[in-house]
Amino acid sequence: MSALPSRAVCDCPVDAITEVADGTHLLRFRSPVISNQSLPGQFVNIKVSGGQHPLLRRPFSVCRVNAREGWFEVLWKVVGQGTAIMAQARPGDTFSVIGPLGRGYTVPESTRTALLVGGGLGVAPLPFLAENLAAAGTSVEVYVGARSKGDLSMLEAFGSLGLEPVIATEDGSVGACGFVTAPLTTRLKELQGAPDAHLFSCGPTGFLKAMTALSKQYEIPGQIAIETVMACGFGICVGCAVPAKRQVGTGRRYKLACIDGPVFDSDEVELDG
Amino acid sequence: MADLTTTIGPLQLKNPVLVASGTFGYGQEVVGLMDLNRLGAVVTKSVSLEPRPGNPPPRICELPGGMLNSIGLANVGVEAFVEQKLPFLAALDTKLIVNIAGRTPDDYVAVIHHLEDQPNIDGYELNFSCPNVKKGGLEFSQDPTTTAGVVNVIRKQTQRPLIAKLTPNVTRIREIAQAAADGGVDAVSLINTLVGFAVDVETRRPRIHAGAAGYSGPAIKPVALAKVLEVAEHVDIPIIGIGGICNVTDALEFLITGACAIQVGTANFIDPGSAPRIVDELEQYMNAHKLAALPELIGSLKKWS
Repeated sequence: MSALPSRAVCDCPVDAITEVADGTHLLRFRSPVISNQSLPGQFVNIKVSGGQHPLLRRPFSVCRVNAREGWFEVLWKVVGQGTAIMAQARPGDTFSVIGPLGRGYTVPESTRTALLVGGGLGVAPLPFLAENLAAAGTSVEVYVGARSKGDLSMLEAFGSLGLEPVIATEDGSVGACGFVTAPLTTRLKELQGAPDAHLFSCGPTGFLKAMTALSKQYEIPGQIAIETVMACGFGICVGCAVPAKRQVGTGRRYKLACIDGPVFDSDEVELDG
Repeated sequence: MADLTTTIGPLQLKNPVLVASGTFGYGQEVVGLMDLNRLGAVVTKSVSLEPRPGNPPPRICELPGGMLNSIGLANVGVEAFVEQKLPFLAALDTKLIVNIAGRTPDDYVAVIHHLEDQPNIDGYELNFSCPNVKKGGLEFSQDPTTTAGVVNVIRKQTQRPLIAKLTPNVTRIREIAQAAADGGVDAVSLINTLVGFAVDVETRRPRIHAGAAGYSGPAIKPVALAKVLEVAEHVDIPIIGIGGICNVTDALEFLITGACAIQVGTANFIDPGSAPRIVDELEQYMNAHKLAALPELIGSLKKWS
């Protein structure tokens, strides 16, 4: 665990909120502190209501950042009480946000080709990562999978970087029909064993298991951003344990998604379910 | 200005607002999110003799008014605690209470032996909600004879203040508190979590991997206050109140009922600045009510005529 001193508890005003896909919302917060400190793959923990319902904060990936203009964005789909309350936010509302939190994506120096793969809402942390990689001159390829056309979002964020995501939908409503693993596998076969290629993914557990298997099969190291239930987000509740694949120094068999992750090397943790 | 200092048996604190074991890590985790030196004391995560990996996930779930947890006492073990965690805690400008967990009375004794030579530890809080392996998993504070027995053994090991943290999952907590007092502890912490259970109706699995778990948060405050009231009325022992404290009103309820200090627990997860804010607002309350010192407030509960 590394010290992460640069986070803060901030009251962040809402600049804008847009429904960018069916039930999927993109919210821009004004926060010079968080936008300046965030790294791709990190998250923020947001108190969605002023009262005690719901009690706990909700974690969101940092989706896009503009440090110069002092804003960052989060992307979410309404799945429960907390995310529904967030969807009611209006410009000028203020939320208590703790962030940036966690360990984000670490781009190895050797990376020349970066494959960014998002499953469903797992696209959330990828625009920020794509922007940083593109700015560093890395070749970026984006793969996005979703159930249907209406579930896709953030495509224009990649477009504005000159990137054209490869899309697959399970119902074939746009892009290839089926899972995004199919077009990705075609590309991985070409890259097999390439020392300068790296796979960065985020999505549901089943999807991340597939990414981990592909990383291994095609010898392309990968990093996965996982989603877990969390209370605090900064290491004090110890609730977001993820089984570790390797034994570590103290004999601990778990890692914490909030401070050891949410981004892990794909061979670092056991994915359940 | 009101004097916030408080006394817990032999322990003098600059204010009565502490953070509860297991809700504050080892302190280092909150650097940058709140000022630890504002606290009356830090109570550490439970420290056991050997490192413990903790329970498989899911370890927590949210419920109305609170949350369930079964972390499984995940901790680095006393040796790593002394080497890696204690130096940071010992350097803070606040008192340090180390919470100790054990499976047998000997476990508690062994942990204390590792800690006795370390300076800057101001007391031990004994987690008596641990299952006692020699009594078929019954918690140490679920039976007065067991409580008195383990306290007797531990009391012989140290001159430092001892605080017994009691489970509320008993019929008459006053009997347990009396046994702990008779055994020689200097104070009791009331309460640990309530036993709770929740089911995911889609998967039909328990929402916590370990099954029954500990319920904490605002919902348990009335239960905790009732336990504090019961012990305050029947047992002559200082009480540290714990249970769903989120704001100064919650803290005041415990102090007025008879607690000489309080611990903020689950609220730390939501707002790590809760405890320092309670310190500030407690001072404001005392000034507004013309209370010069905390003893004027503690146990000042008025009866209906």
